[in-house]
Amino acid sequence: MANLKRKLERLRSIRENNERASREVVEIWESVISKNLENLGKEKYVVLEQICIAALDCFKLGIAEQCIRELYDEFPNSTRVRILESMLYEADENYKSALQILNDIIKQDVNNSSARKRKVAIYKSLGKNAEAIKELTDYLKIFAADVECWQELSEMYINEHDYNKAAFCVEELILHNPHNHLLYQRYADVKYTQGGLENIELARTYYYQAFLLNPRNMRALYGIYLASTAIVNNTKNLSLKKKETTNKIIDWCLKEIKDKYTKKSTSDLEEKLAALEI
Amino acid sequence: MAKFVYKVVLTIAFLSLLHSAISAAQHRSYIRLNELEFTHLPLDVFIQTLLSLFTIMYAVLHLAGDFKEIKASAELENKSWETFRNIPSFYVFSHRGGKCSPSKASLEESE
Repeated sequence: MANLKRKLERLRSIRENNERASREVVEIWESVISKNLENLGKEKYVVLEQICIAALDCFKLGIAEQCIRELYDEFPNSTRVRILESMLYEADENYKSALQILNDIIKQDVNNSSARKRKVAIYKSLGKNAEAIKELTDYLKIFAADVECWQELSEMYINEHDYNKAAFCVEELILHNPHNHLLYQRYADVKYTQGGLENIELARTYYYQAFLLNPRNMRALYGIYLASTAIVNNTKNLSLKKKETTNKIIDWCLKEIKDKYTKKSTSDLEEKLAALEI
Repeated sequence: MAKFVYKVVLTIAFLSLLHSAISAAQHRSYIRLNELEFTHLPLDVFIQTLLSLFTIMYAVLHLAGDFKEIKASAELENKSWETFRNIPSFYVFSHRGGKCSPSKASLEESE
Protein backbone atom coordinates (compact mmCIF):
# COMPACT_ATOMS: atom_id res chain seq x y z
CA MET A 1 0.00 0.00 0.00
CA ALA A 2 2.83 2.37 0.90
CA ASN A 3 4.44 1.37 -2.35
CA LEU A 4 1.32 2.33 -4.29
CA LYS A 5 1.25 5.70 -2.56
CA ARG A 6 4.88 6.34 -3.38
CA LYS A 7 4.39 5.41 -7.02
CA LEU A 8 1.33 7.65 -7.31
CA GLU A 9 3.41 10.45 -5.88
CA ARG A 10 6.06 9.81 -8.52
CA LEU A 11 3.43 9.83 -11.28
CA ARG A 12 2.13 13.13 -9.99
CA SER A 13 5.56 14.69 -10.00
CA ILE A 14 6.11 13.49 -13.57
CA ARG A 15 2.82 15.10 -14.57
CA GLU A 16 3.58 18.36 -12.84
CA ASN A 17 7.16 18.65 -14.06
CA ASN A 18 6.10 17.78 -17.56
CA GLU A 19 8.67 15.05 -18.03
CA ARG A 20 8.45 12.59 -20.88
CA ALA A 21 9.41 9.60 -18.74
CA SER A 22 7.17 7.21 -20.64
CA ARG A 23 9.10 4.03 -20.01
CA GLU A 24 9.13 4.64 -16.28
CA VAL A 25 5.38 5.34 -16.27
CA VAL A 26 4.70 2.09 -18.10
CA GLU A 27 6.91 0.21 -15.64
CA ILE A 28 4.97 1.71 -12.75
CA TRP A 29 1.75 0.55 -14.40
CA GLU A 30 3.05 -2.97 -14.87
CA SER A 31 4.48 -3.32 -11.37
CA VAL A 32 1.85 -1.66 -9.20
CA ILE A 33 -1.07 0.13 -10.74
CA SER A 34 -2.54 -2.56 -13.00
CA LYS A 35 -3.32 -4.69 -9.94
CA ASN A 36 -4.67 -1.82 -7.88
CA LEU A 37 -7.02 -0.09 -10.30
CA GLU A 38 -9.79 0.16 -7.71
CA ASN A 39 -7.57 1.74 -5.03
CA LEU A 40 -6.50 4.78 -6.98
CA GLY A 41 -9.18 7.04 -5.54
CA LYS A 42 -10.07 10.30 -7.22
CA GLU A 43 -6.81 10.39 -9.15
CA LYS A 44 -7.74 7.27 -11.09
CA TYR A 45 -8.79 8.82 -14.37
CA VAL A 46 -5.95 11.34 -14.57
CA VAL A 47 -3.49 8.52 -13.93
CA LEU A 48 -5.17 6.35 -16.56
CA GLU A 49 -4.85 9.12 -19.13
CA GLN A 50 -1.20 9.61 -18.27
CA ILE A 51 -0.48 5.90 -18.53
CA CYS A 52 -2.36 5.66 -21.81
CA ILE A 53 -0.19 8.35 -23.43
CA ALA A 54 2.99 6.84 -21.98
CA ALA A 55 2.01 3.40 -23.28
CA LEU A 56 1.46 4.84 -26.75
CA ASP A 57 4.88 6.42 -26.52
CA CYS A 58 6.40 2.98 -25.81
CA PHE A 59 4.23 1.35 -28.46
CA LYS A 60 2.47 -0.84 -25.87
CA LEU A 61 -0.84 -0.56 -27.63
CA GLY A 62 -2.47 -3.25 -25.50
CA ILE A 63 -2.03 -1.25 -22.32
CA ALA A 64 -3.27 1.91 -23.99
CA GLU A 65 -6.34 0.10 -25.27
CA GLN A 66 -7.11 -1.20 -21.80
CA CYS A 67 -6.85 2.31 -20.33
CA ILE A 68 -9.10 3.75 -23.01
CA ARG A 69 -11.68 1.02 -22.36
CA GLU A 70 -11.67 1.86 -18.64
CA LEU A 71 -12.12 5.53 -19.43
CA TYR A 72 -14.94 4.87 -21.91
CA ASP A 73 -16.77 2.89 -19.22
CA GLU A 74 -16.78 5.95 -17.02
CA PHE A 75 -17.20 8.70 -19.63
CA PRO A 76 -18.92 7.23 -22.70
CA ASN A 77 -19.43 10.57 -24.48
CA SER A 78 -16.24 12.39 -23.60
CA THR A 79 -14.30 14.03 -26.42
CA ARG A 80 -11.15 13.82 -24.32
CA VAL A 81 -11.33 10.04 -24.40
CA ARG A 82 -12.10 10.10 -28.10
CA ILE A 83 -8.93 12.09 -28.66
CA LEU A 84 -7.04 9.41 -26.76
CA GLU A 85 -8.60 6.84 -29.09
CA SER A 86 -7.45 8.84 -32.09
CA MET A 87 -3.97 8.88 -30.60
CA LEU A 88 -4.12 5.10 -30.39
CA TYR A 89 -4.83 4.94 -34.13
CA GLU A 90 -2.06 7.43 -34.66
CA ALA A 91 0.49 5.31 -32.81
CA ASP A 92 -0.72 2.35 -34.86
CA GLU A 93 0.03 4.45 -37.97
CA ASN A 94 -3.59 4.32 -39.00
CA TYR A 95 -3.66 8.07 -39.65
CA LYS A 96 -6.86 7.94 -41.70
CA SER A 97 -8.99 6.72 -38.81
CA ALA A 98 -7.30 9.13 -36.44
CA LEU A 99 -8.03 12.09 -38.70
CA GLN A 100 -11.60 10.86 -39.15
CA ILE A 101 -12.21 10.98 -35.39
CA LEU A 102 -10.56 14.38 -35.02
CA ASN A 103 -12.53 15.88 -37.90
CA ASP A 104 -15.75 14.56 -36.36
CA ILE A 105 -14.87 16.20 -33.05
CA ILE A 106 -14.04 19.51 -34.71
CA LYS A 107 -17.29 19.38 -36.68
CA GLN A 108 -19.24 18.93 -33.43
CA ASP A 109 -17.31 21.51 -31.48
CA VAL A 110 -15.43 24.10 -33.49
CA ASN A 111 -13.59 25.40 -30.44
CA ASN A 112 -12.03 22.12 -29.41
CA SER A 113 -8.39 23.07 -29.19
CA SER A 114 -6.84 19.73 -28.31
CA ALA A 115 -8.34 18.06 -31.40
CA ARG A 116 -6.84 20.76 -33.59
CA LYS A 117 -3.47 20.34 -31.90
CA ARG A 118 -3.56 16.60 -32.53
CA LYS A 119 -4.18 17.29 -36.20
CA VAL A 120 -0.98 19.31 -36.26
CA ALA A 121 0.82 16.43 -34.57
CA ILE A 122 -0.46 14.01 -37.22
CA TYR A 123 0.89 16.20 -40.02
CA LYS A 124 4.14 16.34 -38.13
CA SER A 125 4.46 12.58 -37.85
CA LEU A 126 3.64 12.25 -41.54
CA GLY A 127 6.59 14.55 -42.21
CA LYS A 128 4.38 17.22 -43.78
CA ASN A 129 5.98 20.12 -41.97
CA ALA A 130 4.64 22.84 -44.25
CA GLU A 131 1.07 21.66 -43.71
CA ALA A 132 1.60 21.36 -39.99
CA ILE A 133 2.85 24.94 -39.86
CA LYS A 134 -0.10 26.14 -41.91
CA GLU A 135 -2.57 24.34 -39.67
CA LEU A 136 -0.90 25.76 -36.58
CA THR A 137 -0.83 29.34 -37.86
CA ASP A 138 -4.52 29.04 -38.74
CA TYR A 139 -5.14 27.84 -35.22
CA LEU A 140 -3.12 30.71 -33.72
CA LYS A 141 -5.20 33.21 -35.69
CA ILE A 142 -8.18 32.11 -33.60
CA PHE A 143 -6.46 31.33 -30.28
CA ALA A 144 -3.65 33.86 -30.15
CA ALA A 145 -3.06 33.40 -26.43
CA ASP A 146 -2.16 29.72 -26.61
CA VAL A 147 1.40 29.68 -25.28
CA GLU A 148 2.32 26.09 -25.99
CA CYS A 149 1.28 26.50 -29.61
CA TRP A 150 3.61 29.45 -30.05
CA GLN A 151 6.35 27.33 -28.58
CA GLU A 152 5.63 24.43 -30.89
CA LEU A 153 5.47 26.76 -33.86
CA SER A 154 8.85 28.21 -33.01
CA GLU A 155 10.32 24.70 -32.84
CA MET A 156 8.84 23.85 -36.21
CA TYR A 157 10.23 26.99 -37.80
CA ILE A 158 13.63 26.16 -36.33
CA ASN A 159 13.41 22.72 -37.94
CA GLU A 160 12.71 24.50 -41.23
CA HIS A 161 15.65 26.89 -40.60
CA ASP A 162 13.31 29.86 -40.73
CA TYR A 163 14.95 31.69 -37.85
CA ASN A 164 13.24 35.05 -38.34
CA LYS A 165 9.81 33.57 -37.85
CA ALA A 166 11.01 31.35 -35.00
CA ALA A 167 12.38 34.44 -33.25
CA PHE A 168 9.01 36.13 -33.67
CA CYS A 169 7.29 33.20 -31.96
CA VAL A 170 9.74 33.30 -29.07
CA GLU A 171 9.16 37.06 -28.73
CA GLU A 172 5.48 36.26 -28.37
CA LEU A 173 6.33 33.72 -25.66
CA ILE A 174 8.43 36.25 -23.77
CA LEU A 175 5.48 38.64 -23.81
CA HIS A 176 3.34 35.97 -22.20
CA ASN A 177 5.95 34.92 -19.69
CA PRO A 178 8.44 37.69 -19.00
CA HIS A 179 10.02 36.03 -15.96
CA ASN A 180 11.13 32.85 -17.64
CA HIS A 181 14.88 32.78 -18.15
CA LEU A 182 14.63 29.83 -20.53
CA LEU A 183 12.74 31.89 -23.07
CA TYR A 184 15.32 34.67 -23.09
CA GLN A 185 18.00 32.03 -23.50
CA ARG A 186 16.07 30.46 -26.36
CA TYR A 187 15.61 33.78 -28.11
CA ALA A 188 19.32 34.45 -27.80
CA ASP A 189 20.07 30.95 -29.14
CA VAL A 190 17.94 31.63 -32.20
CA LYS A 191 19.51 35.02 -32.81
CA TYR A 192 23.04 33.67 -32.33
CA THR A 193 22.35 30.86 -34.78
CA GLN A 194 21.07 33.38 -37.27
CA GLY A 195 24.49 35.03 -37.22
CA GLY A 196 25.54 38.49 -38.30
CA LEU A 197 27.07 41.02 -35.95
CA GLU A 198 23.83 42.80 -35.14
CA ASN A 199 22.06 39.59 -34.24
CA ILE A 200 24.94 38.41 -32.11
CA GLU A 201 24.91 41.64 -30.14
CA LEU A 202 21.18 41.24 -29.61
CA ALA A 203 21.77 37.64 -28.57
CA ARG A 204 24.30 38.76 -26.01
CA THR A 205 21.80 41.20 -24.49
CA TYR A 206 19.26 38.41 -24.16
CA TYR A 207 21.83 36.05 -22.67
CA TYR A 208 22.54 38.78 -20.11
CA GLN A 209 18.87 38.98 -19.23
CA ALA A 210 18.56 35.20 -18.91
CA PHE A 211 21.61 35.14 -16.68
CA LEU A 212 20.22 37.99 -14.61
CA LEU A 213 16.96 36.13 -14.06
CA ASN A 214 18.72 32.93 -13.13
CA PRO A 215 22.42 33.04 -12.26
CA ARG A 216 22.55 29.26 -12.47
CA ASN A 217 21.83 29.18 -16.19
CA MET A 218 25.08 27.78 -17.56
CA ARG A 219 23.99 27.96 -21.14
CA ALA A 220 23.38 31.67 -20.84
CA LEU A 221 26.81 32.14 -19.31
CA TYR A 222 28.46 30.21 -22.10
CA GLY A 223 26.33 32.14 -24.57
CA ILE A 224 27.68 35.42 -23.20
CA TYR A 225 31.19 34.06 -23.66
CA LEU A 226 30.58 32.90 -27.24
CA ALA A 227 28.79 36.07 -28.29
CA SER A 228 31.44 38.32 -26.75
CA THR A 229 34.23 36.41 -28.47
CA ALA A 230 32.42 36.70 -31.77
CA ILE A 231 31.99 40.44 -31.27
CA VAL A 232 35.68 40.97 -30.47
CA ASN A 233 36.85 38.91 -33.44
CA ASN A 234 34.44 40.19 -36.05
CA THR A 235 34.15 43.91 -35.45
CA LYS A 236 36.70 45.76 -37.52
CA ASN A 237 36.95 49.16 -35.88
CA LEU A 238 36.09 48.37 -32.28
CA SER A 239 37.25 51.17 -29.99
CA LEU A 240 40.03 50.27 -27.60
CA LYS A 241 37.94 50.88 -24.52
CA LYS A 242 35.13 48.68 -25.75
CA LYS A 243 37.58 45.97 -26.65
CA GLU A 244 39.01 46.04 -23.17
CA THR A 245 35.63 45.73 -21.46
CA THR A 246 34.58 42.90 -23.76
CA ASN A 247 37.79 41.06 -23.02
CA LYS A 248 37.13 41.52 -19.32
CA ILE A 249 33.68 40.01 -19.77
CA ILE A 250 35.16 37.05 -21.62
CA ASP A 251 37.70 36.40 -18.86
CA TRP A 252 35.08 36.73 -16.20
CA CYS A 253 32.74 34.26 -17.98
CA LEU A 254 35.50 31.69 -18.37
CA LYS A 255 36.47 32.00 -14.72
CA GLU A 256 32.85 31.69 -13.61
CA ILE A 257 32.26 28.61 -15.78
CA LYS A 258 35.41 26.96 -14.49
CA ASP A 259 34.50 27.76 -10.89
CA LYS A 260 31.05 26.30 -11.26
CA TYR A 261 32.30 23.10 -12.78
CA THR A 262 35.02 22.64 -10.18
CA LYS A 263 32.41 22.99 -7.48
CA LYS A 264 30.19 20.44 -9.22
CA SER A 265 32.76 17.81 -10.02
CA THR A 266 33.59 15.52 -7.16
CA SER A 267 36.37 13.61 -8.83
CA ASP A 268 39.39 15.16 -10.44
CA LEU A 269 38.34 17.51 -13.19
CA GLU A 270 41.75 17.80 -14.77
CA GLU A 271 41.98 14.08 -15.18
CA LYS A 272 38.81 14.11 -17.20
CA LEU A 273 40.00 17.01 -19.30
CA ALA A 274 43.26 15.17 -19.95
CA ALA A 275 41.27 12.17 -21.08
CA LEU A 276 39.36 14.40 -23.49
CA GLU A 277 42.49 15.85 -25.04
CA ILE A 278 43.94 12.56 -26.29
CA MET B 1 13.29 20.37 18.68
CA ALA B 2 12.78 24.05 17.87
CA LYS B 3 9.40 23.12 16.42
CA PHE B 4 8.40 21.58 19.73
CA VAL B 5 9.32 24.77 21.61
CA TYR B 6 7.19 26.84 19.24
CA LYS B 7 4.31 24.43 19.65
CA VAL B 8 4.47 24.85 23.43
CA VAL B 9 4.64 28.63 23.05
CA LEU B 10 1.64 28.52 20.71
CA THR B 11 -0.41 26.45 23.15
CA ILE B 12 0.41 28.72 26.07
CA ALA B 13 -0.43 31.81 24.03
CA PHE B 14 -3.78 30.32 22.98
CA LEU B 15 -4.60 29.47 26.62
CA SER B 16 -3.66 33.00 27.60
CA LEU B 17 -5.91 34.44 24.90
CA LEU B 18 -8.74 32.24 26.10
CA HIS B 19 -8.07 33.37 29.64
CA SER B 20 -8.26 37.03 28.69
CA ALA B 21 -11.54 36.39 26.89
CA ILE B 22 -12.97 34.79 30.01
CA SER B 23 -11.71 37.72 32.12
CA ALA B 24 -13.37 40.19 29.77
CA ALA B 25 -16.64 38.28 29.98
CA GLN B 26 -16.40 38.20 33.76
CA HIS B 27 -15.74 41.94 33.85
CA ARG B 28 -18.87 42.52 31.76
CA SER B 29 -21.03 40.42 34.05
CA TYR B 30 -19.56 42.16 37.12
CA ILE B 31 -20.51 45.55 35.64
CA ARG B 32 -24.00 44.34 34.76
CA LEU B 33 -24.59 43.01 38.30
CA ASN B 34 -23.43 46.28 39.88
CA GLU B 35 -25.43 48.28 37.34
CA LEU B 36 -22.41 50.38 36.35
CA GLU B 37 -21.87 52.08 33.00
CA PHE B 38 -19.46 50.13 30.70
CA THR B 39 -16.67 52.39 29.45
CA HIS B 40 -13.59 50.29 28.72
CA LEU B 41 -11.90 46.99 29.55
CA PRO B 42 -9.44 46.94 32.45
CA LEU B 43 -5.89 47.64 31.31
CA ASP B 44 -4.43 44.27 32.39
CA VAL B 45 -6.96 42.31 30.31
CA PHE B 46 -6.30 44.56 27.35
CA ILE B 47 -2.53 44.08 27.53
CA GLN B 48 -2.84 40.33 28.01
CA THR B 49 -5.04 40.04 24.92
CA LEU B 50 -2.65 41.98 22.74
CA LEU B 51 0.42 40.18 24.05
CA SER B 52 -1.03 36.72 23.54
CA LEU B 53 -2.21 37.67 20.05
CA PHE B 54 1.28 38.72 19.01
CA THR B 55 2.82 35.64 20.60
CA ILE B 56 0.40 33.45 18.61
CA MET B 57 1.33 35.23 15.40
CA TYR B 58 5.02 34.80 16.13
CA ALA B 59 4.70 31.09 16.88
CA VAL B 60 2.46 30.39 13.88
CA LEU B 61 4.93 32.09 11.55
CA HIS B 62 7.60 29.69 12.74
CA LEU B 63 5.37 26.63 12.57
CA ALA B 64 3.68 27.24 9.21
CA GLY B 65 6.62 25.97 7.16
CA ASP B 66 8.84 27.58 4.57
CA PHE B 67 7.67 30.61 2.68
CA LYS B 68 7.73 30.98 -1.06
CA GLU B 69 10.16 33.45 -2.46
CA ILE B 70 8.75 36.74 -3.64
CA LYS B 71 10.98 36.78 -6.71
CA ALA B 72 8.79 35.77 -9.62
CA SER B 73 11.44 33.66 -11.29
CA ALA B 74 12.35 31.70 -8.18
CA GLU B 75 10.20 28.73 -9.18
CA LEU B 76 11.73 28.56 -12.62
CA GLU B 77 15.31 28.46 -11.41
CA ASN B 78 15.55 24.68 -11.40
CA LYS B 79 13.66 24.09 -14.62
CA SER B 80 15.60 23.10 -17.66
CA TRP B 81 14.76 23.53 -21.30
CA GLU B 82 14.41 19.76 -21.51
CA THR B 83 11.20 19.66 -19.49
CA PHE B 84 10.01 23.09 -20.51
CA ARG B 85 9.91 22.38 -24.21
CA ASN B 86 8.07 19.13 -23.71
CA ILE B 87 4.45 19.66 -24.74
CA PRO B 88 2.13 16.68 -24.31
CA SER B 89 -0.50 17.98 -26.76
CA PHE B 90 1.98 17.70 -29.61
CA TYR B 91 3.47 14.31 -28.86
CA VAL B 92 4.37 12.39 -31.98
CA PHE B 93 4.55 8.63 -31.77
CA SER B 94 6.39 7.86 -34.97
CA HIS B 95 9.78 7.84 -33.29
CA ARG B 96 12.34 5.12 -32.77
CA GLY B 97 10.86 4.19 -29.37
CA GLY B 98 8.02 2.42 -31.15
CA LYS B 99 10.17 0.58 -33.63
CA CYS B 100 12.57 -0.64 -30.95
CA SER B 101 9.87 -1.76 -28.58
CA PRO B 102 9.88 -5.51 -27.95
CA SER B 103 6.08 -5.66 -28.29
CA LYS B 104 5.79 -4.15 -31.69
CA ALA B 105 2.73 -5.99 -32.90
CA SER B 106 0.21 -3.47 -34.17
CA LEU B 107 -3.44 -3.64 -33.13
CA GLU B 108 -4.58 -5.95 -35.91
CA GLU B 109 -1.62 -8.28 -35.66
CA SER B 110 -2.06 -8.76 -31.94
CA GLU B 111 -5.68 -9.79 -32.28
